[in-house]
Amino acid sequence: MNLELEHASYGVDDTDILDDVSLTLSSGEIMTVIGPSGAGKTTLLRLAALFERPTDGVVRFDGMDPWSLSRDDRLEFRRRIGMVFQQASLFETSVARNVDIGQRVRRPWSQRIRGFIRRVADRWIRSAPTVDDRTLEALDLVGLREAWDRDAGSLSGGEAQRVSFARALAAGPDLLVLDEPTSDLDPRNTAILERAIERARGRDHGVLLATHDMHQAERISDRVAFLLEGELIEVGPPERIFDDPRDERTARFVNGDLLYDENGLLA
Amino acid sequence: MPFESLAEPNYLRSIIQVSLTVSLTAILLSTLLSLPIAFVVGFADFRGKRVITAVINTGMGFPSVVVGLLVLMALSNSGPLGALELVYTPEAMIISQCVLAAPVITGVALSAIESVDDAVRDAAYGVGGTRTDVALITLKEARYGVVTGILAGFGRAISEVGSVLIVGGNIAYADGTSKTRTITTAITLETRRGEFETALVLGAVLLVLVLLVNGIVLRLGGR
Repeated sequence: MNLELEHASYGVDDTDILDDVSLTLSSGEIMTVIGPSGAGKTTLLRLAALFERPTDGVVRFDGMDPWSLSRDDRLEFRRRIGMVFQQASLFETSVARNVDIGQRVRRPWSQRIRGFIRRVADRWIRSAPTVDDRTLEALDLVGLREAWDRDAGSLSGGEAQRVSFARALAAGPDLLVLDEPTSDLDPRNTAILERAIERARGRDHGVLLATHDMHQAERISDRVAFLLEGELIEVGPPERIFDDPRDERTARFVNGDLLYDENGLLA
Repeated sequence: MPFESLAEPNYLRSIIQVSLTVSLTAILLSTLLSLPIAFVVGFADFRGKRVITAVINTGMGFPSVVVGLLVLMALSNSGPLGALELVYTPEAMIISQCVLAAPVITGVALSAIESVDDAVRDAAYGVGGTRTDVALITLKEARYGVVTGILAGFGRAISEVGSVLIVGGNIAYADGTSKTRTITTAITLETRRGEFETALVLGAVLLVLVLLVNGIVLRLGGR
């Protein structure tokens, strides 16, 4: 699925958080969004994942504007996107039930009610829990196949974030939108997630990833987008953005120079 | 003679039966009324939400005798519901307990729903959930708080005296069988008669009942 933002802006109470951003992302491509805190990365991702409607401009998927459609039709687009947040935000249930939630919400109500009744009955007779192949496959990708029957609350932070990635993946999305998914993780968990992201690209998923980790952006991106104060400064392959940026502000950001003066204003 | 009332074979059984029937029915009705309100107030954003929340929270501490008085006025012959002829019946007690428990259940459930992290709602939306799915997942995350609200409501209903005394009248038939006598109103009566031992036994029975109901509900809730 191809994503396209065309002159997309988003504002709250006359304040522009994102201003006139245009970019495209193709299937099988990883685009990393970098920029200082408050640059509008999360807002850009929320627009791409159809959490918010742009206040100006258009967000298109395969040439269609989901916001021009009815809520039900838009849901079909939403269900082709998997979102992972900075916090794992797992539900208070087993790992398997966290991962298969996307599949469950897609089932018709009659089937869901039957499933609920069966689950209540299983609990009474204390029958052993079961898991489906798709859930195991998604957990396998993040190296947590064996953890499927564990309680989500018993996972470490890194494991929880990997489960959260598996949850986004198990529903079979075409596009993955990842908001700083490794910012709280140790190097080992980060490496596992990065490998899973690259494998997702191998399956032709598009990936839009916000990160504060410049090395990560350099390692896994096909293209990098630099965002500053809601404005898209430049987009390009990582070699160019990091080694030969066209904009002076990009150069200063990737070199770790302060972009702001002592009054907090853009210098 | 101590324990005179308890010697009547039907006395204890019938007051337990009336207490439980009235309070459990009141809680069932109250829950059916309260959860949708907690749900709507917890999910919707509208003007006056804070005022409604403040009213619900105030209702939690509403004096039961005042509720009893208002219900009695509504149900009395000259009141708007006078035609139903419910004064001094278990149904009147159910109404007053329902009114007393509703703000407790609504308030605690609302607070539990609102305290579910926005990130969880985002996660539910992000996996392709509809608004109904997001609401159901949030409710599930808030389930322990919701159950606590229902138990607190039950505690308030079964242990209250003022309103059931006013609208129920603490009536027992000549053979000692209760019509509108509950454990709490029986305790009041026995204490007034100086039958402290009987009142104490009834108090212990009430405690055990509350404990049992809590145990059953928590067991069903998986905790």
